[in-house]
Amino acid sequence: MEQLVLNLIHRPEMVPEYAEKVTGHGKTEDIGRKALLTESLDIFKTQQEAAHKNGLKVTIQMTYASLFNDEAVALAKEHHEKYGDEIALSLLGLPCREFREKYHTKDFCIWMFSMEDKKEIVNDVFEKFHERFGFYPESTGSYYMDAELTNYIKEKYPMVKCAVATCWEEGPKAYHTCNNSWYTLFDGGPWAPWIPSKQNTHAPAANEAEDSGIVAIPHLSRDLIACYDGNGSNFGTHPQNVLRGMIYDSKTWEYPYLYNLIDQYRALAKYNNGYAYNMMFVGPGWMNKMGRWEAPYELLKKSYEDGCAYYGQLKKEGKLLDLTMAEFADYYREKKHYTEPECALWRDILYGSDKQVFWYCDPFLRACVNMDQGGAIVDLRPYAAKLKWEVGIGTKHVQDASYPFLIQEKYRAGYFTHYAGEGTVRSAKVCYNGEEVDLCLCRTKAHFSEETSADGKVTRILTLDPVEIEFDGLTVTLQTKEYFAEGSGSIKIERTILKMSDPGAKVEINEYMVACYGTTEYPEDMTGITLTCQKGESAERISYEYKCREAALTGADEVSAVIPAIETKVSLTSDSEAEGYIREGYAFSPIFTLGYQKTMSEREVFATWLNLEKAN
Amino acid sequence: MAQSGKGKLNYRCPSCFLRDLDIDMFYDKDKKEYYCLRCQYTGTEEDILKKNEMIRFRYRAMMDRFEKFDFD
Repeated sequence: MEQLVLNLIHRPEMVPEYAEKVTGHGKTEDIGRKALLTESLDIFKTQQEAAHKNGLKVTIQMTYASLFNDEAVALAKEHHEKYGDEIALSLLGLPCREFREKYHTKDFCIWMFSMEDKKEIVNDVFEKFHERFGFYPESTGSYYMDAELTNYIKEKYPMVKCAVATCWEEGPKAYHTCNNSWYTLFDGGPWAPWIPSKQNTHAPAANEAEDSGIVAIPHLSRDLIACYDGNGSNFGTHPQNVLRGMIYDSKTWEYPYLYNLIDQYRALAKYNNGYAYNMMFVGPGWMNKMGRWEAPYELLKKSYEDGCAYYGQLKKEGKLLDLTMAEFADYYREKKHYTEPECALWRDILYGSDKQVFWYCDPFLRACVNMDQGGAIVDLRPYAAKLKWEVGIGTKHVQDASYPFLIQEKYRAGYFTHYAGEGTVRSAKVCYNGEEVDLCLCRTKAHFSEETSADGKVTRILTLDPVEIEFDGLTVTLQTKEYFAEGSGSIKIERTILKMSDPGAKVEINEYMVACYGTTEYPEDMTGITLTCQKGESAERISYEYKCREAALTGADEVSAVIPAIETKVSLTSDSEAEGYIREGYAFSPIFTLGYQKTMSEREVFATWLNLEKAN
Repeated sequence: MAQSGKGKLNYRCPSCFLRDLDIDMFYDKDKKEYYCLRCQYTGTEEDILKKNEMIRFRYRAMMDRFEKFDFD
């Protein structure tokens, strides 16, 4: 039976991230204020009550600060006994007088500390937890957990099996929304639970050797269209985030969007062997008595209670399974195997556009296919490289924990650019008598299916509705199918010309990929990238120098780019006799292009593969 | 002129919100208006509430309840 699995998490945060800054306005900073501590604990109690009265089990993530509070510890013990709540340990909520006196810093994000400090803090909080409860926690988490941190925790505290390890697409967009003052830069990860690799948290493990030993869950379940474009913190299973986005009727205080979001996640079971997942985790700062922005306390509280009530109703109807994090880790390992992907065919549920995208994530790649752009790939992360990317003080990336992209339509244009240059996208152009139409302009919809080969391997297939391309004197009906073969690190794209108004006509098709690399909106140095057009023993090569050069070979076996900065090789291959080409960019257009061109007739099929590998 | 403070609720600048920026506004008691520290927006509570309604123009399906999530 299809079920939505829910992880509901609360943390008694004695100094909520927002509360001191917002409600303490006009007062000198005092994180030990009694009023603040009392209010924080009251919010935790309110949240616990909302969950329990709806029959939902909670994972209580004790914060460092709460471990010094007898009442918080007693409550956790009581609720563990009474409701079966799991007592876990969060690496959020570090700030408190004790922490500041000991570490002499106001830093509070575990992934940003030096490795030495990470170890010391982990030892400190885990031992403090043990001192208070007499056992070590099985679950932990933060907004982000870097691989080195997870590996250390797993080595020192092997009983840990589950962790909140990233917020989906919380990166430059969230940073921007907070007036460039909220440094949670970790785009490029999975949106649903996964087993992180030992090398990089974002990239799922491909096998036991790569397995970090934990099951990771995302911080919230986020809208897979709205969050990719806008502020992630407006569109997730966090009722107050929906209020933050002003996605409610200000008179009636209704927010059907929240329920649509939960229901769309439920619908993803169809693409994931009957399994779907939600995570709700609201920090107490979002329910303080002063209200939050234009939302008064009563609305904040109502939204949380409504969220819990909806999950509770689904549970009563047998459509939801509430698990603690540790229980979920066991469930997940039982349910999924390493190379099994997470798939999400997602529609717009907010803007009224009917736009549809498909997200795919496995240990080798994460991709987004945009049906509003004819099935173009508009985001691509090469997990095959399993890039070692240390973060925190003392590393090359103090804050930037994002997994690099090859294609990102928001940070590197996409199909539409201004006046000059090209944006990153994987699409195709169809040409006839000097006219050219990019499939990015052919809006369509997709349907999901699966195919199992003789060796038991499953391929997920997207079949797009055919599109019509109108040239002067010729109409072409073309269909796209995209194949994601499990464990292959490749995406096969197949174009079929179903019909032409002149059955004897011939058109040119240009399958192309414009790419670069980066983690932010700003360009990176492309020097050092090598583009290769290979045919048997002969090859044309371009070492990237922004010189706008190009090369082509008829019947090329492969066209590729090796990007040393992200240890990635990306290539296109084809099984037809087609001309492969490579194109270097220039300073105003710091991208490269790989492609294949071919003449096609009616009923002909042309397939190309996009392949990702680690380049050492 | 006395310093500005926060109002009874902590309104954000509607103009900045439209460009995906959450910027708290401050209240100027003398001029009886909220103002944005980042941009040039100023307005009364009434004007802010009106603009907050306008902001929702992009959420055309905000009040719809969906039952189907595919196009099969």
